[in-house]
Amino acid sequence: MNINENLLYTVEHEWISVEGNKGRIGISDYAQHHLGDIVYVELPEIEGSAAMGESIGVIESVKAVASMYSPVGGTVLEVNEELESAPELLNEDCYENWVAVIEISDPSEVDMLLDAKAYAAFCATLD
Amino acid sequence: MLEVINQSNDPYFNLALEEYAVKNLPDSENYFILWQNRPAVIIGRNQNTLEEINHDYIKEMEITVARRMSGGGAVYHDYGNLNFTFVVAENNDFANFAKFTRPVINALGRLGIAAENNGRNDITIAGKKFSGNAQFKHKNRLMHHGTILFASNFEEMVEALNPSAEKISSKGIKSVRSRVTNISEHLVQPISIEEFKQILTEEVFREEKNNASYQLGEQDLQAVNELRDKKYATWDWIYGNSPAYNVRNKAAFPWGSLDIRLEVKRGTISGCRIFGDYFASRDIAELENALTGIKHREDDISKCLDHIDLGTFLPQAEKQDFIELICR
Repeated sequence: MNINENLLYTVEHEWISVEGNKGRIGISDYAQHHLGDIVYVELPEIEGSAAMGESIGVIESVKAVASMYSPVGGTVLEVNEELESAPELLNEDCYENWVAVIEISDPSEVDMLLDAKAYAAFCATLD
Repeated sequence: MLEVINQSNDPYFNLALEEYAVKNLPDSENYFILWQNRPAVIIGRNQNTLEEINHDYIKEMEITVARRMSGGGAVYHDYGNLNFTFVVAENNDFANFAKFTRPVINALGRLGIAAENNGRNDITIAGKKFSGNAQFKHKNRLMHHGTILFASNFEEMVEALNPSAEKISSKGIKSVRSRVTNISEHLVQPISIEEFKQILTEEVFREEKNNASYQLGEQDLQAVNELRDKKYATWDWIYGNSPAYNVRNKAAFPWGSLDIRLEVKRGTISGCRIFGDYFASRDIAELENALTGIKHREDDISKCLDHIDLGTFLPQAEKQDFIELICR
């Protein structure tokens, strides 16, 4: 399984890359692999806000529908509209193909996320 | 395993109950629900409702249209169809469909019918589908549900799922047509759907421990009904939650022709162009602007047009013709 060293992760298998007060978020390799072929991405609403761990989007694969949760609380600034017509991009490269950019409301929440090493250890307990 | 007793035939209540079960019932237990709907078309989570239903037929037959939270294509339910739902802890059972379809296959085995899993989502008898399955994952809980065609009316199914609006296009999930069969066609000794429910429950319980019935309490019912009213029974969820779609519709009238193009996002008209071959007395852009921002729903468009003198844009156009051009 591929874990990008430079990102932070959640136990719900989202990743976030933090730059200043902005966070770029997506789903991990574990998530895309377990979902299987992704056929639809219900993108977050721009200007919508979510608390840490709250559902901000929905991913439909051939196997199941699963929620995507916000790694930290914030307001959605941008969404990756490419995923509307090409949801399979999340299977092809889940770290290159982000889902949304959020403005982080409370930077201290970032400290609660898992680094690559801790996330790898967490994933090892799952299978 | 607790069997949640649910006698409701209201599709909105039943779908709300599933969401409530996966999100709110104590996760110290696993749950099983058998339920039936009055005639209804149940749209997949990310489908465009208008692309899936036969609007006129559904209106005429008073068939309910509902949207579920799991993915996949549109299905038709009636009193000849039985639905089953499991809500369990997600112990790597994610995408393990066989675990949940096994009791159905075993129940049919007891009745002398050979059924098998087919592809990822279906159970078949002699290659024909009688059960479609889908899953929804919420945090550490998993909901698996499926349909079972016992004695459904296929003529009504085909009519209800035959969309009338080919003028609509979207990136939403498209339904796939399958060859279907009813369990009743394969029974050597006829049994009722009630008897089949009993056999299926026995098969579910045979694989589980600490089995009991669960009666929904006052608090449960209140929460489910609230979710029903605020989400599942609303136009915003059933139609408005469709993926963005485009409408292109043309019609010729004695006074000229019209070609209407709409972009609809989250159920609301976000773009509108009207082309045509007619005598205009006023800039059509004003009408296009007036329709932009209005919900793509007959009642809303009709109300919007109440404030507009349609005749100044399209002399001789009938209001109802214009509404149908936009909505059908």
